[in-house]
Amino acid sequence: MAKTAVRLDSGEKGFFGSFGEAFVKGDIFTKLSFVIWGLGYIGHGQLMKALLVTFVQGLGLYFLATSGIQSLMKFGTLGTVKMESTFDFATMKNVVNNYDNSFSILLLSVVSIIVIVAMVAAGMMVVASNYDLQKIRAQGKKTNTFLQDVNVYLNEKFYVTLLTLPVLGVVIFTIVPLFILIAVAFTNYDQQHMPPSDLFTWVGFANFLTLFGGGGLTATFGYSFRKVLTWTLVWAFFATFTTFFGGVLLAMFINDKKTKLPKLWRTLFMVSIAVPQFVTLLLVRNFFSDTGIFNTMMANCGVTGLLRNMGLIHTTYIPFLTDPGWAKFTIIMINIWIGVPYQMLIATGVLMNIPADMLEAAKIDGANPVQMFFRITLPYLLNVQGPALVTDFVKNINNFNVIYLLTQDVFATHDQALAASNAKEVDLLVTWLFRLTQEYYNYKMAAVIGIMVFIVCAVFTVVSFRFINKREATFS
Amino acid sequence: MTATNATVEKQLQQGRTKKLVGSLFRHLFLAVLAVIWLVPIAWLVLTSFSTDKGINFKNFVPEGFTLWNYTNILFSSDTVTQFPRWFMNTFVVACFNCVISTCFVLMVAYAFSCCRFKSRSLLQNLSVTVNLFPGVLAMIAVYFVLKNLNLTNSHAGLIMVYAGSSGLGYLICKGFFDTVPVALREAAKLDGASEARIFFQIVIPMSRPILVYTIINSFMMPWTDFVMAKMILNSGLSENWTVSIGLYNMLGKALINNYFSRFCAGGVLVSIPISILFVIMQKFYVEGITAGAAKG
Repeated sequence: MAKTAVRLDSGEKGFFGSFGEAFVKGDIFTKLSFVIWGLGYIGHGQLMKALLVTFVQGLGLYFLATSGIQSLMKFGTLGTVKMESTFDFATMKNVVNNYDNSFSILLLSVVSIIVIVAMVAAGMMVVASNYDLQKIRAQGKKTNTFLQDVNVYLNEKFYVTLLTLPVLGVVIFTIVPLFILIAVAFTNYDQQHMPPSDLFTWVGFANFLTLFGGGGLTATFGYSFRKVLTWTLVWAFFATFTTFFGGVLLAMFINDKKTKLPKLWRTLFMVSIAVPQFVTLLLVRNFFSDTGIFNTMMANCGVTGLLRNMGLIHTTYIPFLTDPGWAKFTIIMINIWIGVPYQMLIATGVLMNIPADMLEAAKIDGANPVQMFFRITLPYLLNVQGPALVTDFVKNINNFNVIYLLTQDVFATHDQALAASNAKEVDLLVTWLFRLTQEYYNYKMAAVIGIMVFIVCAVFTVVSFRFINKREATFS
Repeated sequence: MTATNATVEKQLQQGRTKKLVGSLFRHLFLAVLAVIWLVPIAWLVLTSFSTDKGINFKNFVPEGFTLWNYTNILFSSDTVTQFPRWFMNTFVVACFNCVISTCFVLMVAYAFSCCRFKSRSLLQNLSVTVNLFPGVLAMIAVYFVLKNLNLTNSHAGLIMVYAGSSGLGYLICKGFFDTVPVALREAAKLDGASEARIFFQIVIPMSRPILVYTIINSFMMPWTDFVMAKMILNSGLSENWTVSIGLYNMLGKALINNYFSRFCAGGVLVSIPISILFVIMQKFYVEGITAGAAKG
């Protein structure tokens, strides 16, 4: 981390440094090109390029002039004019006043800020490149023709060609939304403050206080957050490790020389991958429903009665997905069912890469299978799969599909405190925030929860990668 | 002499039986596991042929078999089931997503793996950080952005959401590109090939497993995705839905007792293209994943 920071610093200095030098020592065209990008290129004899960059600059300025600046001016309040519609007798129609839409203001402001930053940076780059052209001409050499310039982007600067579109996509569909969501966490955007008919505004850290237990007696977000976070972490831990070890053990069991027809067995387990996850999840949820077929089977063979006698259930059926404790257990079991074939597939590939002579040597030295597993196979697997395990853990923290499809419309909470903040016992942070936005339009709390999810994931990832790197260092 | 021979014979016999019993238990254990893994799938297939339209709570095997569920969802669409439309919608979205995502992933992976430039590590660290935000979270904001652009309830919007930030999923692919020998690229460069030519004519042809893996992955996404499609298309007309929300909708409280077996038939029909793809590509898939994971 420290290394990248230093490198970043020096890169930044180089960037600003070269701009400063170019601006101070540049001729009139170089200086003018900061204001109108094309002027410098015209002055330095590159007409095509001049037209192109001026066109891009024009687009940016047009956006800022028509909507960007207006929104930025209202950014401090997020709008003050509420929508009002009055009946106009002259036209016999409802007339809506020129109202402010808080969300559009927020969105356009974020976009404008990004556009302004990008345009300033681009202007500085234009100046630097013009200074280079000026120097080339001062030495009496010819500058690149347009075709030569295009060629540079297929050679030395090929990465620019490659990265432009994907980076643009990420900026539009990930970065801008994230900035907006982070901003929403500091506003009172909820059902009572829904644009366009209502305005919302900045409220500082009030939503964070609510999440950590403040917000008066009626707000139970603090209680729900603790409960949901705990279950999210427990779930992620079990979901990751049960499927990982399940997959490894199954792969080893099938790979073993004593197992006949390994290919057939592998295919049998992989049939379940062929069916899309949402189909199997919706199917299984009906399989395990209170009046479902599995409960009928359990009742017929007396398991339900046995469990009732043991005091584990108090109903005439087994509440697989309707009782908090049972539901958590069932969800983890179903997740094993879903995840193990995938993990088996990957583990099979990785296991084949373990040097056979290493295992052979251990065998000759008298190691038993258990020792071989814990001393050779497992360290090797963890070494190769360590980073994948970390990403799996993060994916499971955000495992929306399994929880949502298994419990939505099926599980209802009886805990008043949880229900007051629209949470359930089986909710993960992500399903909770999804429901908050989709059913209760409580965007402010959803945004705060989203930021919390990010913090949990980030802390976990950084800590575990530290650990992995350290362990690798001590091993070698 | 004969006595010792007999004991050796007896021990051998014992060893053989022990081995046989062990092998029997091993395969019995596997068979039990396999049954557990196949029961829900079997239920899906059996129910899809059931004469009973709703869920059968009493018996695992339906009372009567019929092809009606399949013919119904395939040929007679009503307001609830428009399976052929959904199938086509999903196919179109999948094709577009496949092309755009694959290009994005390959481009980013090559730039980060084979090109050296100043902001490389900064961009890589940024991408890792951005990946930590849950997709669902960004989705909510993306929804508003699309709504402002009037792109909700349209396939274009859905494709943009799927493919837009697909460049972030470059890691496995980059791991694979890293294994392409540097000397090969250097040699091509000495022979006068441009970076673009090296990318298209050397690195891409050498990366067939990961190419196939990326293509399948992006093609399958719209078939298996649920949450994004629900968010973007749910409030629109049912004829514009993708398979996943269409099928999900069939299991609503009011419909499930009439449509459950048709839902199963739809599930089986969706599984067919996915499993065909999967069987063909399975080899590449494993190769791609393990090469990327082991050497990345």
